[in-house]
Amino acid sequence: MTEADEKDGPPVVLVDPIDMSKLDSEFRNEIKSMPYGDELNACFACSTCTAACPIANVWTYKPHQLIRMIILGMREEVLSSDEIWLCLTCFQCQERCPQKVRVTDIFFDCKNLAAEESKIPETIVGLAKTLMEKGQLYEVTADWEREDMDLEPAVPGLSTNEFKDIIKATRTGKIVGGEE
Amino acid sequence: MSDPVLIIGAGVAGLTAAVELADSGVNTIVVEKLPTVGGNALDLYKAFPTDDCFYCFEGNRWRPGIRKCFYRSALIDQPNMDLKINSYVEQITGNSGKFEATIHVGPEYIDAKKCIMCGLCIEYSSAFSLVSPQCQPQAVTYDPDKADEGDKKAVEECPTKAINLDAQPKKETVSVSDVVIATGYHEMKPVNVDEYSYGKHPNIVTQLELAQILDPIGATDGKLLRPSDGKPAKRVMMVQCVGSRDENYYPYCSKICCVYALKHANILTEERDASQVSVVYMDIRTYDSHERYYREARENGVEFVRGRVARVEPKDENELDIIVYDSLLDKYLKFTVDLFVLSSALEPPEGMDNIIDSLGLNVASGFIAPADLVSENEVVAGDHIYACGTALGPAEVPESVTQARAVASKILQNRK
Ligand SMILES: Cc1cc2nc3c(=O)[nH]c(=O)nc-3n(C[C@H](O)[C@H](O)[C@H](O)COP(=O)(O)OP(=O)(O)OC[C@H]3O[C@@H](n4cnc5c(N)ncnc54)[C@H](O)[C@@H]3O)c2cc1C
Ligand code: SF4
Ligand code: SF4
Ligand code: SF4
Ligand code: SF4
Repeated sequence: MTEADEKDGPPVVLVDPIDMSKLDSEFRNEIKSMPYGDELNACFACSTCTAACPIANVWTYKPHQLIRMIILGMREEVLSSDEIWLCLTCFQCQERCPQKVRVTDIFFDCKNLAAEESKIPETIVGLAKTLMEKGQLYEVTADWEREDMDLEPAVPGLSTNEFKDIIKATRTGKIVGGEE
Repeated sequence: MSDPVLIIGAGVAGLTAAVELADSGVNTIVVEKLPTVGGNALDLYKAFPTDDCFYCFEGNRWRPGIRKCFYRSALIDQPNMDLKINSYVEQITGNSGKFEATIHVGPEYIDAKKCIMCGLCIEYSSAFSLVSPQCQPQAVTYDPDKADEGDKKAVEECPTKAINLDAQPKKETVSVSDVVIATGYHEMKPVNVDEYSYGKHPNIVTQLELAQILDPIGATDGKLLRPSDGKPAKRVMMVQCVGSRDENYYPYCSKICCVYALKHANILTEERDASQVSVVYMDIRTYDSHERYYREARENGVEFVRGRVARVEPKDENELDIIVYDSLLDKYLKFTVDLFVLSSALEPPEGMDNIIDSLGLNVASGFIAPADLVSENEVVAGDHIYACGTALGPAEVPESVTQARAVASKILQNRK
């Protein structure tokens, strides 16, 4: 076969592999250096974490796959995934991992890294905004339930102003501020 | 006086049986087809589970001898051992403690007692060579197929007059009381497993070949170099279960390839400065406490990919592109590597079926099976016939040694 033949003909394999040299091989070290990442490399892909997770059945990437993607260096995919934000932080995966990988904590680390790069889903930014504006996520409203229980319409003495000031000075403030 | 014991094969198993028996006052005849003892363990560099040469451990230090090696000193000091190198057993007749064995003893071109391994003969003719600096007996070997003009000069110049080119093979018939089969294993050359392209690119090797590259007394002085151009190999990929657990080749698990692959992966990352080591596997079987090699490998950053190799595509003479299907991610990954190492099946050695047939032994996947399959006497292959080490199937050195000691103990009990 000449070289021209080779180029013109159909590709030998009909797969488009992920090129390992294009991935970020330093990503695993980045995660490892964060407060909870020290056991990351111990993962042996048993998938106990996924078996333990109450909601991973609806995820595209399951917990064990996310850990694997971190180890492989798929930084972009992990940090822009919805899954790290959908995690309930119930810690069941972390409790059961036979190699003591701090799965939930590692997802927290991922969220922090993603946030730094402004990779935050709209819904989460929305929540942060509410927190900034209202000082609370679940506003107490005067409704029949309170009335039935003989409670005053508003929570007595509740002041969220101080909290609003604090949160403005945090990273949450920056994230929301930066978005506006 | 009782007849001697015949031991076929001088790897760790055969030698252990021989030394144990000899030390207990039993005469032994050890028949080895190669010019040196040691078998497959000769070039293994560090051995699990001690990460050291198995026989240099403390318990054996009382034996005098060069570099404290157990076998060297035994072969030199122990008068009850009759080692016949370059030899094989032609035929065994008789039974039940009274056997006649015909041994073909290869010509003794070099007198090992005289050779001082000065290397002068090697300079004169390529027919002379040194199998390994670790070889035992400590002597060069002569290959008559490569005979040339320089031979005679070598004979004349040899400072100790150790060379005799007129040596002839001999046939010896001996009466022996027991037969111990310790013929070991062979690492399959995976030439037929097309998908891995073994033999088609210099940088595709087997684990045993990698062990030889890592051996500090080997050709590269232990440096991790690409066979193609001698440049440092930085990126290495290993693939497990090549020809094992595969009905097209060998249906069994070769049992120790996971452990030594990870032993190698750890040596590569800890001592040889490899920047990327990946292991493609179906299952990692690091039995018993060998799990620590697996844990250590992960800590060292070795990349484990569960799945199989889709394609091997040589990029040029020095680099290979390897596409792997990652079954955990359901994705295809492309790696570029300098060295591709195949964990090839451990198979029965050549001639094993002859031995099994002629002695009427049980067979399991080509290796020797115990005479009584339900008993726990796995080393008893027949009446006064024993097997130990990897002649019984893939095994590590400690297991081979334990079996060899069990054989010695059985024979000693029978003699009382
Ligand atoms: C890459 C690799 C790495 C390994 N690393 C380790 C390790 O780290 N630790 C460990 O414990 N184990 C290790 N092993 C396993 C180890 O090699 C074996 O356990 C050990 O060598 C078995 O010894 P043996 O005496 O049973 O067989 P062998 O070493 O195979 O010896 C058999 C001997 O019999 C001779 N022979 C064969 N047929 C005949 C015949 N018909 N007539 C006369 N002589 C004959 C052969 O020439 C050979 O000398 C490794 C194996 C491989 C492949
Ligand atoms: S449970 Fe732990 S070891 Fe198992 S896949 Fe999940 S993180 Fe890895
Ligand atoms: S902490 Fe998150 S990933 Fe872990 S089990 Fe709970 S929901 Fe699943
Ligand atoms: S010249 Fe003689 S002593 Fe020197 S290595 Fe050759 S055989 Fe041995
Ligand atoms: S020991 Fe590991 S590599 Fe070897 S055959 Fe068994 S599973 Fe495969």
